[in-house]
Amino acid sequence: MSAPLSVENLSVVYRVAGGILQAVRDVSLSVQRGEVLGIMGESGCGKSTLAAAMINLLPVGAEIRQGGVRINGTDMLKLPPAAQRALRGQSVAMVFQDPMTAFNPVLTIGRQLADFAGAHDPARATPDRLVAMLARVGIPNPARFLDRYPHELSGGMRQRVAIAAALLMQPDVLIADEPTTALDVTMEAQIIHLLRDLRTSFDGAIVIVTHHLGVIAELCDRVAVMYAGEVVEEGTVDAIFHAALHPYTRALLACDPAVVDPSSGRLPTIAGRIPDLTALPPGCAFLTRCTMALPACHNPPPRVLLAEGRSVLCHRVQP
Amino acid sequence: MTPVLDLQNLSVDLPLGGFLSRARLTILQDVNLTVARGESVALVGESGSGKTTLARAVMGLQGMSGGEIRLDGQPVAGKAGLARLRRDATMMFQDATASLSPRLTVGYLVTEPFRIHRQPLPDPDRMARDLLATVGLPAAIARRYPHELSGGQARRVGVARALALRPRLVIADEPTAGLDVSVQAEVLNLMADLRRDMGLAYLIITHNLALVRHVADRVAVLYLGRVVEEGPTAEVFAAPAHPYTASLIAAEPKPDPRRRRADLAIKGEVPSVLRRPSGCEFHTRCGLVQDICRQNAPDLHPTTTGRLARCHFADQNQEQGDHHALEH
Repeated sequence: MSAPLSVENLSVVYRVAGGILQAVRDVSLSVQRGEVLGIMGESGCGKSTLAAAMINLLPVGAEIRQGGVRINGTDMLKLPPAAQRALRGQSVAMVFQDPMTAFNPVLTIGRQLADFAGAHDPARATPDRLVAMLARVGIPNPARFLDRYPHELSGGMRQRVAIAAALLMQPDVLIADEPTTALDVTMEAQIIHLLRDLRTSFDGAIVIVTHHLGVIAELCDRVAVMYAGEVVEEGTVDAIFHAALHPYTRALLACDPAVVDPSSGRLPTIAGRIPDLTALPPGCAFLTRCTMALPACHNPPPRVLLAEGRSVLCHRVQP
Repeated sequence: MTPVLDLQNLSVDLPLGGFLSRARLTILQDVNLTVARGESVALVGESGSGKTTLARAVMGLQGMSGGEIRLDGQPVAGKAGLARLRRDATMMFQDATASLSPRLTVGYLVTEPFRIHRQPLPDPDRMARDLLATVGLPAAIARRYPHELSGGQARRVGVARALALRPRLVIADEPTAGLDVSVQAEVLNLMADLRRDMGLAYLIITHNLALVRHVADRVAVLYLGRVVEEGPTAEVFAAPAHPYTASLIAAEPKPDPRRRRADLAIKGEVPSVLRRPSGCEFHTRCGLVQDICRQNAPDLHPTTTGRLARCHFADQNQEQGDHHALEH
């Protein structure tokens, strides 16, 4: 059986004033049923562009240069727009960072959920089903909730409703872009627990995009680390957090204030900046910030495959 | 020694609804907090706890309904008081890019406080260069505009601007929100350097507990506009005396997949200030709630170790936390 989601050699560029910005470069990933894949990296590394490409909702100005996004084996990018829309929602659903802007402010929650659910199949939009789904995402008094408006809800509640809306379609793939970033730590913990519970009951694949290392560690089975548009390291969550091989992954984990012992005084940092994505160097994109660089790093780094689902893009790593 | 900032019974309430309504909504109630010279104090709590209102009240951006603010022992009152306050205490805003005017160059922006406060500025270029150097930015950046800066650079420009008039107190509202971890680390290091070199005091408003652990000497926890616990950061984190503090600490995602939390640290949401719970205001979410908590509101009282906590069982909680800490 084919994976619910697989991304194959995907490259996405943006046309900008300074030329062509290479946001996603030759990314290949796949997620199995019941699995949670985390995509982590700093801002500007291409993770949100990748998430948007997975559902083919790229912003204006973005262009897919090569590759495909397969949903249950079908390349979504090759389908006509109507077929893509059918796939979106029914097979792939997305939860966004800001749950406020995901809803129409003048319609009740019940009306909006019914619209989402009924768009593909009106039989799915029964009030009983909506209430059951709201209960499943942990909304208290779900029956009364249908009459409320988005502004009456807290950020945490809105994010739960957004997740309920996504799940109403029984998608095969759920993509969440920074699902807890706008929330307090207590609400964040609750959403993490919710997604973890759903993972066992919902038989699909989940992709979590975040720069928050704690969220990745708490929630994901596998992790893809992105830097300058590329996946520089991929592995199980344990391998990434306890046996990282790419110098960028190591540096990123080392400077998280949540990891560093406060008595140590200064926090480690990563010197320098992400390279200009409109004028990328020919060699390794992390070269200028890397403390372990070799002369060979001026050449493009090899993708070293260590095991199934475990790879590193680095000259330093031996197969 | 006289503290730089001394808040005494600070209260803020806001008018509630209706044109002729006299009803008031309590946002902050009797908050007492001091920040000593060179000290770093963090104020933590969830959204709606009143922490941003407190910062705004201190800066004179929000009227108070009671209490007093003292700066270096002098009550802040009237226009002259406010002017002094805004010179000696400055604010670092959450959204650094939005707090900088897009039409002005960085060089102008960092020296603007001199113009606003009509302070002598004989050589603006040199002053801009010096200020930018203080926050570790190259002089060339003075000619740039805010939209040309990265998030970390904008944050540094915000700090340079805040430091222009050599304040003694910086109020930082979520100084690391929205920043990547590597940039967070840079900002925290910068804050530590400035404190060491200039003797700055900080009042840091945040819900990022990792930040609190790194930069705050003392921490005050707000819940529904009241301080529920206050004490030295290391002690509070090692053995919280208030269950709310304990659940905030437990809710923090741990960046280690081998230490995943099995159970949910805290139930429900912050209650509305329109319907404050009876007794202890945290009892609706507290895992350790007893009958007394539903009826009697606990006072903010000293624990056996001299911390302050607003819980009937503060001493027990603290002891248990200590045992727990010893086991690990």
